[in-house]
Amino acid sequence: MSYVGSILSGFWSLLNGLGITARHFGRKNVTLTYPHEKPELSGEFRSLISLIQLPELGTHDCVACLQCEKICPSYCIKIEGGKVEGMKRKRASKFEVDFALCSLCGLCIDVCPTDTLEYSKLYDEAGYEREWVFDLLDPFESLEEEFREKQREVDAKVAAEKAKKKAAALQAKAEAEAAAAQDSPTSGGEVQS
Amino acid sequence: MPRTLLDIFPNPLIAVGIGITAVMTVLSVNTLFCIWFERKVSAWIQLRMGPMEVGFHGTMQTVADMVKLLGKQLVTPKGIDKPLYHLAPIVVFAPVVAAASLMPFSESVAITNTNIGLVLVFMFGGFASIGIFMGGWGSNNKYALLGAMRSVAQNISYEIPLILSSLSVVLLVGAMGREFAVDGGVIQANGMNLAHITGVQAQRGVWFLLLQPLAFIIFFIAVLAETNRAPFDIPEAESELIAGFHTEYSGMRFGLFFFAEFSNMFIGAMVATILFLGGWDGPVLPGPAWFFLKTYFLVFCMMWIRWTYPRLRFDQLMTFAWGILVPLSILNLLITAFLVKVF
Repeated sequence: MSYVGSILSGFWSLLNGLGITARHFGRKNVTLTYPHEKPELSGEFRSLISLIQLPELGTHDCVACLQCEKICPSYCIKIEGGKVEGMKRKRASKFEVDFALCSLCGLCIDVCPTDTLEYSKLYDEAGYEREWVFDLLDPFESLEEEFREKQREVDAKVAAEKAKKKAAALQAKAEAEAAAAQDSPTSGGEVQS
Repeated sequence: MPRTLLDIFPNPLIAVGIGITAVMTVLSVNTLFCIWFERKVSAWIQLRMGPMEVGFHGTMQTVADMVKLLGKQLVTPKGIDKPLYHLAPIVVFAPVVAAASLMPFSESVAITNTNIGLVLVFMFGGFASIGIFMGGWGSNNKYALLGAMRSVAQNISYEIPLILSSLSVVLLVGAMGREFAVDGGVIQANGMNLAHITGVQAQRGVWFLLLQPLAFIIFFIAVLAETNRAPFDIPEAESELIAGFHTEYSGMRFGLFFFAEFSNMFIGAMVATILFLGGWDGPVLPGPAWFFLKTYFLVFCMMWIRWTYPRLRFDQLMTFAWGILVPLSILNLLITAFLVKVF
């Protein structure tokens, strides 16, 4: 290319470059102001486990069956719990997870019989110590009393209904027996013999 | 013509004091603004947001950075050439203040007004490379020395097209300002007087950008190189030379180099405004507003260029200066001289 031609074509390409960057001025940013804005995570995002707040119960449904504790390959779950006064359902009183050990394998979620475990969307957790233990029941603590009272009522109602039904059934049986005895006293006699 | 501070305050000490205070204030605010603005421009080009945390949209970020620089320890390396090492930041910075005081930013008031303003500006611009070389030589560091040598080579090369392209403006001022109305009288305009250059453009109603587009482009490129701005920032090419000539400077000593770089940029843009964009000339708004609008537009262009182009290789830089800019500016000067003589 000639001397003048190379200058002109070079200048033209430089102007093109400026045009490309100028077009970027008005574009939407691709970055977020991170601590203030957080990215939207995929539904498949797997992070540390957490308990689900089930809509029909208003709280979690951990029955302290200890299946997750048993299946955990990293031994990072510690659960305590048991019978609660006046309630049919068992309840967990402690659900400690040491996230420093957790390998996010998800076996606990698969094994949970009440489906009350899920992957959380926590991804920016950090700590200053090696111990990194959370009690997953902490966020549910305020809900627990209300749930228990409600559940006691429900259980009492169910129990009362059951007792009523049982009584009704017994009565019906007694009545039926009485009727049968009246209809054919002989048969009653046969039974006795 | 603008009244200078000496006309207003008869006592030269008071005039000098006020002038230095004003210039330092403007330069400091300008540097704080320009650093923030540069970060913002680069962020916009790269689809980022830039500083957002300190103050409204990060406007106070540079103030915080400056406080940090002031608080830093001044590390003095072993084996330095003490006088050169300690003088260098001052030698780089002082001429900037002197050059900034020469600028006629308004039709009514100026800090100083000399008949050799243009020459003085180029002289003070040349000082910077001496200071940079002192810093590079004195700091006993091979990267600093390499950066300083590159800087001097580059500054010497680009000074020639810079001055040649501005000479064509000087010729035009001489030709177009034969009947230059000043303070009620009519005089021959002085092509080296910055106020006269602007005044001729204002009176003839034409900016020299329209008459000398090639000279403007050459001048602007040479200013970029003189102020060590990308794509001509090889004296401080991070990937090759760590930080170039200011590798061994820390804290506010480095801050002074930085201050000087941004102020040089500002002064380069101001000189380009005066020579080619008609300085204070413009409708509706007052003179200083136009002057600083044009200046900051050019500063913005410098940043835009910086974040668009990659750095030149050193031989490309020299070829560009001696093979393209110098011949073109000589040609432009000869044609201008011919046309000025004919018409």
